[in-house]
Amino acid sequence: MFQGVRVTASSSGHELFVLGDSDGYVHLVNRTFEIRSFSAYERGISLLHQSKDSPILVSIGEDEIGVNPVIKVWNLDKNDKHGDPVCLRITRATIPNKAVIASCLAVSDNLSLMAVGFVDGSIIIYRGDISRERSSKQKHLKDDLPSITGLAFQTSGKVIMLYVATVSSVEVYDVTHKDKEKKIHLDGKGCALRCSILAESLPNNDFMVARRDAVYCYTNFVLGPCYAISGEKIQLEWFRSYLVIVAKDMEPAPRISTRVNFFSDLNRDSHIITILDIQNKFIVFTALVKDVSAVLIEWGAIYVLSTDNSLCLIAKSQQYDAQGLMEIFRQFGDHLYIKGDHKGAMEQYIKTIGSLEPSYVIRKYKDSQQVENLTTYLQALHKDGVATGDHTTLLINCYTKLNKPELLKEFVMTKDREVDFNVEVAIEVCRHVSAEDALLLAEKHCLHSWYLTIQIEDQKKYNAALDYIGKLDFEQAEFMIKKYGITLLENVPEETTSFLKKLCTDYEPNNKNSDGSSYSGQQKANPEDFIHYFLNNSERLVEFLEHLIQISSKWSPHIYTTLLEHYIHVWGKQTDHHARLQYEQKIMRLLESPDASYDKLQALILCKAANFKSGILHLYEQNKMYQAILKYHVAQQDYSSLLVCCRRFGHQEPGLWVQALWAVAPQQNLPHDLLDEILSVIEKEKLLSPLSVVDALSYSPNVKVGNVKNYLNKIFQTELKLTEQQKALIEKYTQQTKKSRNTIEGIRNKCSACNKQLELPSVNLFCQHSYHQHCFQTFSENECPMCLPNNKQILDAIQSQEQSKDLHEVFHSQLDRADDAFSLVTAYLGRRVFTELTDYSKVAMGKFFLIVIMDSS
Amino acid sequence: MSYAYLFKYIIIGDTGVGKSCLLLQFTDKRFQPVHDLTIGVEFGARMITIDNKLIKLQIWDTAGQEAFRSITRSYYRGAAGALLVYDITRRETFNHLTTWLEDARQHSNSNMVIMLIGNKSDLESRREVKKEEGDAFAREHGLIFMETSARTAANVEEAFINTAKEIYEKIQEGVFDINNEANGIKIGPQHSPSNASLPPGSQSSSPSSGCC
Repeated sequence: MFQGVRVTASSSGHELFVLGDSDGYVHLVNRTFEIRSFSAYERGISLLHQSKDSPILVSIGEDEIGVNPVIKVWNLDKNDKHGDPVCLRITRATIPNKAVIASCLAVSDNLSLMAVGFVDGSIIIYRGDISRERSSKQKHLKDDLPSITGLAFQTSGKVIMLYVATVSSVEVYDVTHKDKEKKIHLDGKGCALRCSILAESLPNNDFMVARRDAVYCYTNFVLGPCYAISGEKIQLEWFRSYLVIVAKDMEPAPRISTRVNFFSDLNRDSHIITILDIQNKFIVFTALVKDVSAVLIEWGAIYVLSTDNSLCLIAKSQQYDAQGLMEIFRQFGDHLYIKGDHKGAMEQYIKTIGSLEPSYVIRKYKDSQQVENLTTYLQALHKDGVATGDHTTLLINCYTKLNKPELLKEFVMTKDREVDFNVEVAIEVCRHVSAEDALLLAEKHCLHSWYLTIQIEDQKKYNAALDYIGKLDFEQAEFMIKKYGITLLENVPEETTSFLKKLCTDYEPNNKNSDGSSYSGQQKANPEDFIHYFLNNSERLVEFLEHLIQISSKWSPHIYTTLLEHYIHVWGKQTDHHARLQYEQKIMRLLESPDASYDKLQALILCKAANFKSGILHLYEQNKMYQAILKYHVAQQDYSSLLVCCRRFGHQEPGLWVQALWAVAPQQNLPHDLLDEILSVIEKEKLLSPLSVVDALSYSPNVKVGNVKNYLNKIFQTELKLTEQQKALIEKYTQQTKKSRNTIEGIRNKCSACNKQLELPSVNLFCQHSYHQHCFQTFSENECPMCLPNNKQILDAIQSQEQSKDLHEVFHSQLDRADDAFSLVTAYLGRRVFTELTDYSKVAMGKFFLIVIMDSS
Repeated sequence: MSYAYLFKYIIIGDTGVGKSCLLLQFTDKRFQPVHDLTIGVEFGARMITIDNKLIKLQIWDTAGQEAFRSITRSYYRGAAGALLVYDITRRETFNHLTTWLEDARQHSNSNMVIMLIGNKSDLESRREVKKEEGDAFAREHGLIFMETSARTAANVEEAFINTAKEIYEKIQEGVFDINNEANGIKIGPQHSPSNASLPPGSQSSSPSSGCC
């Protein structure tokens, strides 16, 4: 780059590198490495500070011979007529009466404070906007300090601190308030020039000071942690969360993680650049670099300027800087790989995880000899959580190829770490490779479905599978048994059945001991879901269902119906008489059980299909299908049962007897007493007219008249008796009618007063008395003379009651005196104390209301 | 949380005796079987309660390797307590105690409470240093003695808290000048009016680590 130029000062910021040389020139380097130079001083430049975000550059240099440092402030965005940046301010940086060399310069981020340190230990603080000459006030801090080697402003809130490093001490000044600067002594050891830096992005903004043995941090005005990196330090730089240390190459730094020899010629002037990740306490990068003149940080990268003025990119980090590092690792890895150091290359590749496509590496290591390295890489991939399912597959395959089941097991069981792979994929692969591991894996991650699939489909270990299901909690167990029940039942019917029994009654996971009992009541599987599993295994089903019914009786009709069906099925198949009888009893017990809520019609169909006699009859009876029972008996020609049936149910359904008659009549070889009994009942209960009886019997091929003679005789006799009785009754009623008619005639036509034939005009009263009008008028005005005395009596009684009803005092006194107050009150109620008088007098009067029927003429 | 006192501790002893593990067990209540070598000095903090007073322990964990001895020395100053650790399964770590003790006495203030700790008491089968020997050494040099295990956490709490109690007693007796921070004792923010001039926030936000 700048041939023949001796760089004496450097700074960076505002997207620029700023270099000052011994001839007083400032060189600005932009991102595309275009250089722009201008003359700032007549002689040399000693210090430069480029503001981070603004185009303000502060420089200290000399314009004349002698020690007369001058501060100049430049605005790099504004040009004067020569095309050079405008100089905003020129201040002499001198201590009164002394000529000393300025050793360091610090400018606060907001450009309101500037400090210059001198070799004699004095510090001058400039307050106010540094780009304006006028507003700035300077303050000379006169503490007897050794030569100043480093200055840094730290702003936290309103507080501004100035860290000062000297040759033999570290101090901090509180410079928040003007003229109230306060010094705190931090340490009695100092550092060399450029070997102190403020770590800006750390939470506490540590002030870092590099000494020969280590880098010390000062935090909150006390000595903080330190990082032991030995070597004679030349420069410290801070970059994001990385500390860049330039030291002379003396001996290898401790704990070197990556040592990259960029330059193979190790001459004596080389330096070590160490990049330390402070947050992770990790040396990210160490390299030997020839002749470092300065380390510059800009554009998200770290550049090294060497003494021959060539610029070299060291590392980019974070964001795209991290990518840069990865690229370095990858290239180094490639290099080692080509050289044949596969293991070393893999170490590098592992560091690239996260940015480099894993397939790039995997492809390189796919040879069978490289399985071990590949395994290492895949493990690292998993550890970083970037592995895909394919990677897991590959890794497990690698383990098997390496024939190291114990490694596989360890990986699969993920001891001491998070699960960092796709479990399902792992199981899938393990399933083909080592079923045992797959099982362990599935069990560990509660992938019950996988576990059982392997156990049942691959291993055929049905009992183990069943045991496993038994350990699950209810929902899962139910789900699993639904999934695998059929297979299990086919292979281990006995165990499966007993498990199902448990599941449907009071399921409790095997591995739980105590608390299961409290909620077992709610957890019952619906047995209907399992019935179809027993498709070809009636006996097991019967066993299962019987168990259910024994435990509890509250099952759905379907359960009972199914049980019945299979009872009958088994019964039908039994040949041994004794066993048949036993089953018959079982069926009947089921049918007769009051709890069994089977579907009766379906049960009937089942019994009929199997021709299970007692069942059919029981069901007919249950369903009140007495006629069906009858028909059944007739069809069976079981006449005695027929009679029994008629007798039993005749009173509930009298029609039965008639049915019986009709059913029996056409039959051959009827027992006599049967017909007799039917007929006698029919006769007694008068269920059927004799004609119909005869009609019914006429169908019979062998019933003779003699057989029914008794019946007919009895019928006729009753009929005769009946006729006679009725005749007598007719006679009686005719006479009564006649009598009544005469009486009516008599009443109708006589006046009640004169007892003579009534003539118009007449008065007819409701009391059924009739009078001649003139007769009525002679006796009374508007009341029936015959009823008058009676009425008067009633009216008097009402009146007397009404009077006494109003006498409240009387009532109360009576109430006080009465032995039985209640009956007194009732008596008063009886006198209608609480109803309005008028209504009832009207009613009373209505009784005697008069209707005078006048002749129309 | 504001504390009544802040005590600074330093943990010293040969490399590999379990200093960092003791600290991790005390601050994070966990054990890391493989711990990187401590490079330089790290620290952790935890609040404890003694006599109903909140006390913040700031514990400096130093590198035990001989090469870092000079770094460690600069941390003795300003420590109120020191945990001098040896490994009961390695006799040489016990033999080096005298050197450590000399170093500590020389660079720290004379009142510093030193507790001798025989670590790795869980590895009884590999024991090389008897408990009685540790006891005798402690008596001879006026130290408090305890055997701990950072793996099982046995006695770890007690070691730190007993040291704190000892310091607290010394404060009560007036042995420590609590206003001199070089003694490793600081009075909490609300207890000390003299600290008002310090920038707010800079005190309470002590370097974050451990549980506090």
